[in-house]
Amino acid sequence: MKKIFALVFLVFLFAVQFMNAYGIQRFPKPEFESGYVQPETLMPNPRAEVLAIMDIVVLIFCLSVVSWLVIKKRSRNKVFWMSLFALAYFGFYREGCICSIGSIQNVTLALFDTSYFIPLSAIIFFVAPLVYTLFFGRTFCAAVCPFGAIQDLVAFKPQKLGARLNAMLGVIPYVYLGLAVLYAATGTDFIICRYDPFVGIWRVNASFGMFVFGGLLLVSGIFIARPYCRFLCPYGVLLNWTSRFSRKHITITPAECIQCRLCKNSCPYDAIDMPVTGKNPDDKRTMGRKLIFITFLIPVLMLVGGWTGSRLHEQLAGVNGKVKLAKQILNPVSDKNQAETFEMEAFKSAGKQQSQAFAEAADVLHDFYIGGWILGGFIGLVFGGLIAGLLITKHHTDYTPNKGTCLSCVRCVDYCPVKVT
Amino acid sequence: MVNIDVIMKQKIIILAALTVLLVLIIFAVKDFFFSKPGNSNPYEFELDKVRTGDTSMAVWAETHQFKTTLEEIHGITTDASGTIYISGKDAVEMLDAEGKETGKFPVEGTAFCIALNQEGNLLLGMLDHIEIWNNAGKQLSRWNSCGSDAVITSIATRGNNVFVADAGQKVVYRYDKKGNLLNKIGLKDPATGVPGFIIPSAYFDLGISNDGNLWVVNPGRHSFEKYTFDGKILTSWGKASMAMEGFCGCCNPSNFAMLNDSLFVTSEKAIERVKIYNADGSFNSIVATPDLFEPGTKGLDLAVDKQNRILVLDPVKLMVHVFEPK
Repeated sequence: MKKIFALVFLVFLFAVQFMNAYGIQRFPKPEFESGYVQPETLMPNPRAEVLAIMDIVVLIFCLSVVSWLVIKKRSRNKVFWMSLFALAYFGFYREGCICSIGSIQNVTLALFDTSYFIPLSAIIFFVAPLVYTLFFGRTFCAAVCPFGAIQDLVAFKPQKLGARLNAMLGVIPYVYLGLAVLYAATGTDFIICRYDPFVGIWRVNASFGMFVFGGLLLVSGIFIARPYCRFLCPYGVLLNWTSRFSRKHITITPAECIQCRLCKNSCPYDAIDMPVTGKNPDDKRTMGRKLIFITFLIPVLMLVGGWTGSRLHEQLAGVNGKVKLAKQILNPVSDKNQAETFEMEAFKSAGKQQSQAFAEAADVLHDFYIGGWILGGFIGLVFGGLIAGLLITKHHTDYTPNKGTCLSCVRCVDYCPVKVT
Repeated sequence: MVNIDVIMKQKIIILAALTVLLVLIIFAVKDFFFSKPGNSNPYEFELDKVRTGDTSMAVWAETHQFKTTLEEIHGITTDASGTIYISGKDAVEMLDAEGKETGKFPVEGTAFCIALNQEGNLLLGMLDHIEIWNNAGKQLSRWNSCGSDAVITSIATRGNNVFVADAGQKVVYRYDKKGNLLNKIGLKDPATGVPGFIIPSAYFDLGISNDGNLWVVNPGRHSFEKYTFDGKILTSWGKASMAMEGFCGCCNPSNFAMLNDSLFVTSEKAIERVKIYNADGSFNSIVATPDLFEPGTKGLDLAVDKQNRILVLDPVKLMVHVFEPK
């Protein structure tokens, strides 16, 4: 019965694929064969529904297998081979689209723009890694994300950066996430896709600039393991938060830690928390003061950040197409030899009123004013959290993976002499 | 000492790697926030190569240029004596075979197209109706309007039949000599295989071949369609292509004329060129290349005179280009 159901379902899916075969050519397509070169676009061609479902199945399969390999098998070797598969499939075959990192923008746009239709694959690619992380830690980062996989391949001489530098650089992904959400929510741009460093490598045919961008990131990745994942990836922020609550996170030792310190230098991502032995250095009074200070500091930082963000809303909105157009209308090209921008030509040929263009730009500016407050407040909160993290030290006795920043790569496990018999 | 060297080396490596990372971030920020809007359309089709393409197949040469005195010109036709008739704004002008003006008479409005009937009278397409004039400048009749949306772009006659192309209503009317409507041709009808005319702009030409059938350009489909006088579709040919062998843009060819009763002389807009096709639709040769015309010239109406010269009406230069085999 199940087999019959599955067969019927498959037939239905293929039928959906061929629905457009019934479409009648209403108007012949313009001919673009004779020497026309299509410009590079940010997004590849649309994916057929069946293949999009296949992507989802592969994603779930990879997440399940990698989670099992990380939590149960604790095998670095097998995780590595899975990461190569992910690199081949999600990277080179799927050309990096759709990816979970970029799906943040699809989800955001869908939440703020009801006219935007979000594909099912975008939702699954956004949600599934977060759900798995909630249960098993960042196994997605370990060997499912092609970004991580390609950077892992070049991490030959990883250097320790130290806690403070790691913490400071770790703020960048929060800012990037905030900006990505702001620009997606306002329908301005998908900046994560625009500055995807590896898309040029996946698609092989990207511009020279994009190759250089990705190439330089990989060069720096020789010495700073996974620089994009740690200091740029906005999706990593969400995974970091979720992973802190993970039910079954990887442990370095399968039993009790014997404090041998062999794993101390094993993590290329500085994601192992050293033991804070002895008594907690802060007495209750000092801790109380710190907590009061943080409680006061965070709202202040959020307010200052929000206010600053709102002051910068015009600069932030400057990249929005509607605002750009309004600026061009206000400051027309005075030099007769200088050609008008393509946007201005399009505006003039559309026959729209200037007042309409200004009204649309004003709406966008208002959105950015609100967005500036939220973005600034968010960045203030992040800085507050950073300071709080530096002020408050947690008391623990073992070498443990930091549940937020650990990428579940399983390298540290090989260093642990404690084995389960 | 060694340890200090190692630490220093490590620090330098970290600093260099971080600098690279920082440079990339700065590059992205600069590119996103501070790049100036360009004035190029990345999707624009660069037509220069097509316009100045291979002209080795041009086996015709321009031998004469006949200037007209009309303010605006739209239609051209010739008669058995070699007289060239040009219709335009407020007037019709007549030239002899050497381009010398032999007559001119005023009309009320713009005659967008012109044709001769068996009696030697001129049929003028006046936007929404037909007027019949003799070559002495006397109006013989005025037919009823084809409708408020009518844009008459071409006329052809054979015997008792007058065919009128209406670009506005995307249909061909078949009238008798007195202006009585006999039937409509080309209305979309899947049952009989008539695809319907796609006419994005007011260029819609027709003509009658020696075998007594009607040829109509379906410009949106970049094709010629052959109909019986009753409106039954017989065949079609045409290929959309930027290459010389095909028709380009949204809607081409804009005009055509029959040569030696079997060859099609075609003209196009956007890439202003005149070409010849064989009766089966295969490409034959080039008559005129875009460099002969001002960029943006539209409505290169065509006629073939008794000496089998190809006459190309140039509404921008206000002249007739005369082409003869090299």
